[in-house]
Amino acid sequence: MGRSGRPVARPSGARAVRTLLTDPVLPVAALAIAAIAAALYAPMLTWAITGGLAGYSLSGSV
Amino acid sequence: MLTAGVLWLLSGLFTPLPADVRQGLIVAVALLAALRDVGKLSLRLPQNARQIPQDVLRRHLARGALQFGFELGTGVRTYVSASAPYAMAVAVLLSGGSYAPALAAGLGFGAGRALTPALRRLSGDGERWDDLLARRLTGMTVLCSALIATAACSTLR
Repeated sequence: MGRSGRPVARPSGARAVRTLLTDPVLPVAALAIAAIAAALYAPMLTWAITGGLAGYSLSGSV
Repeated sequence: MLTAGVLWLLSGLFTPLPADVRQGLIVAVALLAALRDVGKLSLRLPQNARQIPQDVLRRHLARGALQFGFELGTGVRTYVSASAPYAMAVAVLLSGGSYAPALAAGLGFGAGRALTPALRRLSGDGERWDDLLARRLTGMTVLCSALIATAACSTLR
């Protein structure tokens, strides 16, 4: 529901794909998978990925 | 990068500690960070919680952008809304003296920080994106700290 009490219109078609691909959770999910893979095979890359997670966690910071 | 460089310089002080102890400390701090983000741990962490004034950019665009980037990137004047950067700072500090982890973490941090405005712009609807972010931010910050703890379990061996 929107702030006015009306249901929020769901995006459709290309807009829905764009919304999905730019979802704020998507980088966390991608970096999580990358962090696990890197921890197993490329320890130095793990530092970069966890650094990325730390940087992205500040999304709410101004 | 600058903050990571300073932390790397200080990391030499902790090299006498055995690797297992350093690894344990990194994991412990990352877990504490996750608990803090969940709200189960009340802990004040050092920060200069002030917003960078907009007139920084109005005075001179190029110099203002540099100052804005410096203050936001290093955290000398900004609201630090998550605990994961502190966990990462401790991880670099206890990384063992080589410059490579600090360099990688610094580059990653900068890229991660830049992801937010990039995604918001790419979404085409900044306000909707902000709403989505506000709803998911707590879960995201907890997950980030938990992932740093998980990665630390295997990286420093």
